[in-house]
Amino acid sequence: MMISRFALLASFVLIALSGLQAEPLAPPDVKALLDRVRAKRAGAPQVQADFQEEKTVHLMNKPISSTGKVWFQKPDKFRREVTGNSPSVTVSDGKQLWIYYPKFKSAEHYSLGKHSPLDAGIAALTAALNLENVENSYHITGGKLENGYELQLAPRNPSLKRLLKTFNIQMNSDLQVERTEMVQPNGDHIVTNYSKESRAPIEPSTFEFTPPAGTDVTTPLGR
Amino acid sequence: MSYSKFIARLVTQHRARVWIGVFLIAGVSLYILITRLTLDTEVLNLLPAKFESVQGLKVYNNDFAQTRELTFALSCQPNDVDRLEEFAPIFAQRLREQPWSTRVLAGSPMESPEAIKDLQGLAVPLLLNLEPQAFSDTLAILQPEKLQARLARLHHEIEAGSPRPEFELQLDPLGVVAPALKPFSGNAALEQDQPLTSADRTMRVFLAVTNQPSISAFDCQALMKKVNAFRAGASAGWEGAGPLEVLVTGRSAYVAEISLSMRHDITVTLLGSIFLVGGVFFVGFRRWLPLVGMGFSLLLCCLVALAAGLLIFHELNMVTIGMCAILIGLGVDFAILIFGRYQQARNEGAEHAPAIEAAVAKLGRAIFFGALTTAVGFMALLLANSGGFTQLGVLIAIGILVAALFMTSVFFLFTREHSRPPRNDWILAVVRLYVRRTLRTPGLILWIALPILVILFALALLPQLPLIFDASTRSMEPKSSAAGYALAKIMGKMPTRWEPVLAVVRAPNEEQLHEYWQKIENRWRSLEKTGAIKSFSTPAALALSPRRMAANRQRLRTIDFDAARRALEEAIAREGFSRESFAAGFTLLDQLEAVARGTMPVPDWRKALPPSSSWWFLVDRYFAADPLLTVGFVTTNKPVETHDQKEMLMRELPVDGVPMTLSGWSFTLTDLIPWSHRQLILISTLMAFFDGFLLALLYRDWRLWLIQIATLALAIGAMIATMKLAHIPLNLLNVLAFRLVLAIGVDYGIYVLLVWQRAREIEHDVAGVLKPVLLAGLTAIAGFGSLGLANNPTLSGLGIACAIGLAWSLFATIFFTLPAAAIAEPMSIEARKLLAGT
Repeated sequence: MMISRFALLASFVLIALSGLQAEPLAPPDVKALLDRVRAKRAGAPQVQADFQEEKTVHLMNKPISSTGKVWFQKPDKFRREVTGNSPSVTVSDGKQLWIYYPKFKSAEHYSLGKHSPLDAGIAALTAALNLENVENSYHITGGKLENGYELQLAPRNPSLKRLLKTFNIQMNSDLQVERTEMVQPNGDHIVTNYSKESRAPIEPSTFEFTPPAGTDVTTPLGR
Repeated sequence: MSYSKFIARLVTQHRARVWIGVFLIAGVSLYILITRLTLDTEVLNLLPAKFESVQGLKVYNNDFAQTRELTFALSCQPNDVDRLEEFAPIFAQRLREQPWSTRVLAGSPMESPEAIKDLQGLAVPLLLNLEPQAFSDTLAILQPEKLQARLARLHHEIEAGSPRPEFELQLDPLGVVAPALKPFSGNAALEQDQPLTSADRTMRVFLAVTNQPSISAFDCQALMKKVNAFRAGASAGWEGAGPLEVLVTGRSAYVAEISLSMRHDITVTLLGSIFLVGGVFFVGFRRWLPLVGMGFSLLLCCLVALAAGLLIFHELNMVTIGMCAILIGLGVDFAILIFGRYQQARNEGAEHAPAIEAAVAKLGRAIFFGALTTAVGFMALLLANSGGFTQLGVLIAIGILVAALFMTSVFFLFTREHSRPPRNDWILAVVRLYVRRTLRTPGLILWIALPILVILFALALLPQLPLIFDASTRSMEPKSSAAGYALAKIMGKMPTRWEPVLAVVRAPNEEQLHEYWQKIENRWRSLEKTGAIKSFSTPAALALSPRRMAANRQRLRTIDFDAARRALEEAIAREGFSRESFAAGFTLLDQLEAVARGTMPVPDWRKALPPSSSWWFLVDRYFAADPLLTVGFVTTNKPVETHDQKEMLMRELPVDGVPMTLSGWSFTLTDLIPWSHRQLILISTLMAFFDGFLLALLYRDWRLWLIQIATLALAIGAMIATMKLAHIPLNLLNVLAFRLVLAIGVDYGIYVLLVWQRAREIEHDVAGVLKPVLLAGLTAIAGFGSLGLANNPTLSGLGIACAIGLAWSLFATIFFTLPAAAIAEPMSIEARKLLAGT
């Protein structure tokens, strides 16, 4: 219902890498690159990594930096923990999304799967992390970097276009995502650097969340 | 001088005077029609006014803005959903640009920055209307430490990537708007109650309020002409692989369609009636002039009845269109009978005037009684307590009595002295043959006809074979209705929820309105908790209390606005927020301070909302043009279908001391269906008793009386059985068919049995009346059957039901009444001849 609420969600779900000058790839080469990425990830449908993020949002005068760790499992499960002075935990099992603020003992709860812009945001996130069927939602171009590759994703459908202007993914030569960069239609800009990528198995409980006792739970989007 | 002689002399020797009289009557009637004609197009006026639910429905239909709302829908193929999403804003913009469009709702108002700004405009009055405790809690947010804590939290949430801060700061930078809107937001979830996108995303719905000057049929037609022109070009630029369907529905769409289909119905049924009735008449009598005379006399009857109706009721309901058709169906009988008898007399050598005298003398009494039974039968519609049906009953009663008069007088102006009937009358020959056979072996005819009628009668009584009663709104839509198709398609694609129960509340002033809705909210909330109802929504949040607002305004003066401003500035700086993001918050602080000091009045929320604001869609849902007339909605656990459900709601929903009218179409139907069943039984029974009494008076012979009653019962039984077997449903209008069939069917019996009773040359006399009865029956069947061509299903349903009933009445009269009378009163032909002295 409230599309504008999701504008910032895009900045939450889309983790960007900065773009470097790249030698353009022909469309068949882009397809081949995507096939290689999928083939490599086929054996391990999960990933975890550390991240460093810098957000430039119109609400704030200065960019906000944060660090933490992210876990992802196909097709749509993820967990994101921000450490430091403003810790938070974001967990989705594909059906619902929790954002927990331990410092405030409060949590936000969102339902997914209602064709809402929130789902579009989550779809954008999963696109970055697993690149499955990504051609259905984005026009994709690519380039060869000195030590890897760059993919430029331009949203195809209007719901994604409302959240995302450009979305670049940079991978190293081992096809691991190193950096994503996202620019939103309102000018917000988010750059995320990933490190220590691992494809070790992840405990299913990682993608589950139960608010600790005494947590103030809100549902900002209502039912 | 006898009446028959007087008429004969008048129409043969004083034709000019009669013509002058006719023109005078026609002129006066036309003058009344032209100068006083006012049409009542309100469909709901056909329903009984005694039910509160009907009154509520009328208020809701007439006074609330939804009457000027059109629902548009774009429907595409599943592989074009993304295209549809891209095209929807283009379509919405085109819709907004139409000169007939006041405002458009194309998505949740919360998606639009303008609508969010509009919502901020409601903040001050809604804040001041909060309950004392909620008001205190909300004002506490303005304390410096709370302002700082809130901004720290928002900063934290932005870091976490929550979507909430963006929305919260966009709508409510200060943090007081959301609590102020909380009572309102419960009702603002438009998207959840009325989704604007189908689950499969192949349909998008747009609501548009139009600026049509009134909801009259002509204004609706004019509007829909423009709307359809817009629709024709609205999909320009669509780039989907499949076609894009642009649908529209709504009250104006229906009214335009129904009123236009009425024009079609009038033309088609009139032409159909003229063709069929004229055809039967000509086949029967092979004369054109009397046919013209019949049409002229019937037209005159309609004119007189309509003029009389206007004088009595001052306006005419649209159902009177049906009156003309019914009147023609009834009046034709008189013309055929009287002309049949006249021709018979001429065939037997009588001159023009004596033949007229003979016809009037022989059949005047039967026609008079026929007209009387019909008139009284229709006057029984007064018991229905429905404005429309009362008019219908009175108009037909007047019309039929006038028809009896004109057919035994004016009609003869169209017969000629020199015009001799054809010598070779094959119909009469066949009828005579049948009458002769019946008189000789009545038992044989009876043993063939009676089992058929009895079996059908048994089927009619058989509860296992139900008679369908369709009281849905669909049963009243024109056939192949575009608006109906659009509605059905939208309902098919969208999650269908059943229609809520409406609670219409009118208050004498704002304070009272506020109190009423507070009480209702409390009551309904407890019902929701106990599970008695599923959910509800009310205008309580916008029914403001002037008293409470004045008290809260006093308390607002205790706020240190300067300190709040300073604290906000400091918190913004500390957390690194952009000051621009809080501009609306500073404005609100200024407004609150001005209101507290009295330098600014409390803003009127109605004036705060611009006319194009999407929020009006929500406001108009609850408030009529008169802001003290409001409606609340209750969603029940199951669709309201039974009288028990209605009784429960009538018991539970009202609140002591709050005048409330419960309504809604489904709710009203729980009143109307038993009512129409009662009407069917009560009025038909009363009519049957009256007919029975009149027939007893007329025949003074219990055997003939019994035969006539049995004929009526068997004919009605066969009619019901046929409708059951053919799955022809009854609806709210065609239940009238039963009393029509009774009224007309009884006449056939009267004509035959009165002649039977008084016949001297039985074969000659009975054949002489049976031929006109046959022709009258066939013309009536053709006339009513032609109504089946109407687009309006109520009208076509009425026509078909009547045609079936009359067909069985005619069958029963010919194949049951006559042989039964021959068995019951077996006077030999010789005895009759002896009686006749021939």
